[in-house]
Amino acid sequence: MWPGDVPIVFRRISILSVFAWLAVGTTAYADDPNPLHERIDDLIQEPLKAVVAGPASDAEFMRRLYLDLIGRIPSRTEASEFLNDASSNKRTLLIDRLMASDDFPDRLANVLDVMLMERMEGHDEWRAYLRAALKANRPWHVMAGEIASPDSENEATRGSAFFISKRLEKYGQNPTDYPGLVRDFGRLFLGVDLQCAQCHDHLFVDDYKQADYQGLFAFFGPTSIRRDLTYPAIAEKLVTDKVAYKSVFIMADEQTGPRLPFREEIEVQTFPKGEEYSQPPDGKTRFPGKLKFSPLSELGKRLPDHPLFRKNIANRLWWVMMGRGLVTPLDQHHRENPASHPDLLNLLGDELSVRDYDMRWFLRELALTRAYQRSSLIPEPLQDADANGNLSTYQIAIEKPLSTEQFLFSVVQAVGDGEAVDMQTELRDSAEDVESTTEEEAIVRNASDALREQLTELKARFSKAIAGPPRQPEIDHQPSVKAALFLLNDDVLLRWLEPDSDNLVARLMIQDEPQMVADELYLTVLSRFPTDEEVTDLADHLSNGSDERAKACGQLVWGLLASTEFCVNH
Amino acid sequence: MMDQSALCRPWEHTISRRQFVAAGAAATAGTLGLAPFLQTSIAEEVQKQHKQVLFIWLDGGMSQLESWDPKPNSQFGGPFRAIATSVPGIHISELLPRSAEQMHHLAIIRSLCTQDNSHSAGVARIQRGDPKDRGVTYPYFGSAVAKLLGPGKSGLPPYVWIKPGSGGFMYKDAGFLGPKYGALAFGDGQPPENLTLHESLTPSQDDVRNRLREAANQRYSNRRRKSVTEANSYVYDMARSLMKRQDLFDSTQFDARDVQRYGTHEIGRHMLQARLMLEAGVTFVKVNSYGWDTHGDNFNGHASLVPKFDQAFAAIVADLADRGMLDNVLVIAMSEFGRTPRINGHVGRDHWPEAWSLAMAGTGVKKGVVVGETNDKGTFVKDGEFDIGHMFHTWFAALDIDSRETAYNNAGQPLPIAHDDMQAIKDLLS
Repeated sequence: MWPGDVPIVFRRISILSVFAWLAVGTTAYADDPNPLHERIDDLIQEPLKAVVAGPASDAEFMRRLYLDLIGRIPSRTEASEFLNDASSNKRTLLIDRLMASDDFPDRLANVLDVMLMERMEGHDEWRAYLRAALKANRPWHVMAGEIASPDSENEATRGSAFFISKRLEKYGQNPTDYPGLVRDFGRLFLGVDLQCAQCHDHLFVDDYKQADYQGLFAFFGPTSIRRDLTYPAIAEKLVTDKVAYKSVFIMADEQTGPRLPFREEIEVQTFPKGEEYSQPPDGKTRFPGKLKFSPLSELGKRLPDHPLFRKNIANRLWWVMMGRGLVTPLDQHHRENPASHPDLLNLLGDELSVRDYDMRWFLRELALTRAYQRSSLIPEPLQDADANGNLSTYQIAIEKPLSTEQFLFSVVQAVGDGEAVDMQTELRDSAEDVESTTEEEAIVRNASDALREQLTELKARFSKAIAGPPRQPEIDHQPSVKAALFLLNDDVLLRWLEPDSDNLVARLMIQDEPQMVADELYLTVLSRFPTDEEVTDLADHLSNGSDERAKACGQLVWGLLASTEFCVNH
Repeated sequence: MMDQSALCRPWEHTISRRQFVAAGAAATAGTLGLAPFLQTSIAEEVQKQHKQVLFIWLDGGMSQLESWDPKPNSQFGGPFRAIATSVPGIHISELLPRSAEQMHHLAIIRSLCTQDNSHSAGVARIQRGDPKDRGVTYPYFGSAVAKLLGPGKSGLPPYVWIKPGSGGFMYKDAGFLGPKYGALAFGDGQPPENLTLHESLTPSQDDVRNRLREAANQRYSNRRRKSVTEANSYVYDMARSLMKRQDLFDSTQFDARDVQRYGTHEIGRHMLQARLMLEAGVTFVKVNSYGWDTHGDNFNGHASLVPKFDQAFAAIVADLADRGMLDNVLVIAMSEFGRTPRINGHVGRDHWPEAWSLAMAGTGVKKGVVVGETNDKGTFVKDGEFDIGHMFHTWFAALDIDSRETAYNNAGQPLPIAHDDMQAIKDLLS
């Protein structure tokens, strides 16, 4: 049935049931003395009852954790140290060590950048903002407020305006995409995709009404990009009227002021003519003025109190670590699409809120769960369940795709000299550099500028081949022909597989024993020791191949870099 | 209406030498038994084959008056004559002499009336079939067919686009279907980046490293969910199939006689490449030609452009017919709109979506027909206008896709594949 064919019956919103759906229940969990990760496992375990995969091996856990927390595989040295460590609490120690490193806020900044900007062209101020905020472990509700209602006068946070300003940019002759901005804000901060409720109540999701879209639109409709500043900043027009709209089906005139989805409308404060601004606009400097009543500032203030705000961020961070949202798709929170574990999602949202949206603490708790530390290997009794597609979500660990950044940093890590690389630090923008005074410092800075330029170019190269297109969420594993061709034939990548000083291929070449070659290769690339079968196959390859040894070693490395085991986080 | 399909025409009884050879080869392979003489058997065999599409896009707007719907000796007719074609009673512009000889394979529709007269919106609108607005971005026809028909057995990407200018992976065509249904574009006929084997490797070395990759995948997937590795292997297989078909984009390997027949100009070279792609099994091949927006000097412009198109188009239609491929390939040649009958002050014609034409041939399409009619001055459709939505239904029907029953699934939202209020044009379908 298509909209044109059916008489649309006006459906009255059941106020009571919406309240039930959006119920906030912090008190139910507040008194539980057990740490969050134990309570998570209880709630995951209960419905599974049956068989689950065993705990991940040290190697599997280590690789997963490095990729999730610092965005790259462990170096050969790091890997062998951890695998040889006999202490019983070494997993928890590793979690804490990685989270304490500078790479952790960088990785989280990258996660949030890809999540919020969805591969649109970036901006230095925006990235600097994310990194500074996450380095300070700024609470999520504070960050969300800064993004919703950016303060252009605060140099430390003004980059947050880019989330809105980028979406206000015009493309060609198209009008400003306000619907896209409204949609993205709803999706990314509240987990609701209201796009299909723009012109009428959503046809398939009863909870999403046109009034919800239009109410959210009322915050953004008066915004534009400030033209008087060189950095991203938002201007707000004075609004005195409500947003008028009508459903294309019902054609009755409706209107709404600013209103968060499913919440009360906000009363627009009006002022006598001439007194609307705390700082009046200035036509000469193009300063847009500062409103006494700013819808965006109301949005920023009220956002954290929205019940879906906490569920959305809990669900998204859960997805980052676990590979699947409790609510999936991530932007389809509504009653007909309940969470796979509703009590768990409530618990996570409430705990985050009680803990002042401390994302570092939250991610640590997730990393400590048995569910996170489960193996991705399917245990014998479940083999049939997989073949029949009946494997429950958390019975085994879910394989996650690698982002372009994770992939690039990991390849660079694998092919190099075996020591930990620090690409993220090198990639940091020069904006953060301290002004140098001496000539010596200037030389050092120029050298690192050159390196940064090289790395930035490298990142662009990988991005072009591997990253998803802009404005598409990067959620699922989506291998592409383009990326395969890149791995098969990219010049830079293949040059890395030629022997050079003490890079991986050079190290493989000087080993005589197949076992030694295999150990070096597997530990460096796949962060684990090889199986006997793998050693035998490798020996065959080296002895049978007619190619010279450098080529043969390069092929071994390539075969693993291009393998599924390397290209996913398992 | 000049539908003559009720008549039996002599060319339907002829079987070309190539068809004999093809039928013989098939018989040897045991698929056809011992009936190489019967054309129906060939047709049956082809029926089982994968349907394909050749979509020729004349960007900017070809003038219907200088091509499929000439109005000589009328107020807006312009200087060119109309000529007879291989189908008695059907006349087309004298700028299309070779296509006129192929008219018995073609179906022309002269009663298109569409909604948009700007290029920027019109190109996308037409190629998306202009469905009802449901707040989503619909796929271009190529992405739609890639989704609905799949890649077939060729191992090659289902949607290939041969165009002047730059190439690459064009995900935008796919709209809500997602990037994997986008076009693989050969800019100026050249393959996208990384499609040629790296200079440091020989083909056998490439095989060796890929065997190592597959062995690693085998071990990895042994005790894990199969779908992840299957998806990875699939894209590598497709990438390697493409890499092995250098003959499809290395123009030095093209047959010199073919190059002469199709024309050494851009659209000739690209059309020949399109035939090779179709022969290789690509599901949807789009060929773009630019520069048709003749607001000034329309007649010299078309006198230069149309004959090049004519040469390439007639050559490929003849070749596809010769090879028996028209039985499973749908051919479409069109623009985003036609051009104004009124001749402007710069001796040009402007944009005219009100009454224009396109040409089709191949699977599911009637042969040697004209559908629809414009008035004597060519300004408007006489009666029964058809929009692009009707054409989408018609094309889907020609490809054996039921456009009323089939729907896309956009994250749970069912979406019709063509405009809900329109239907296929029966007069165009065989």
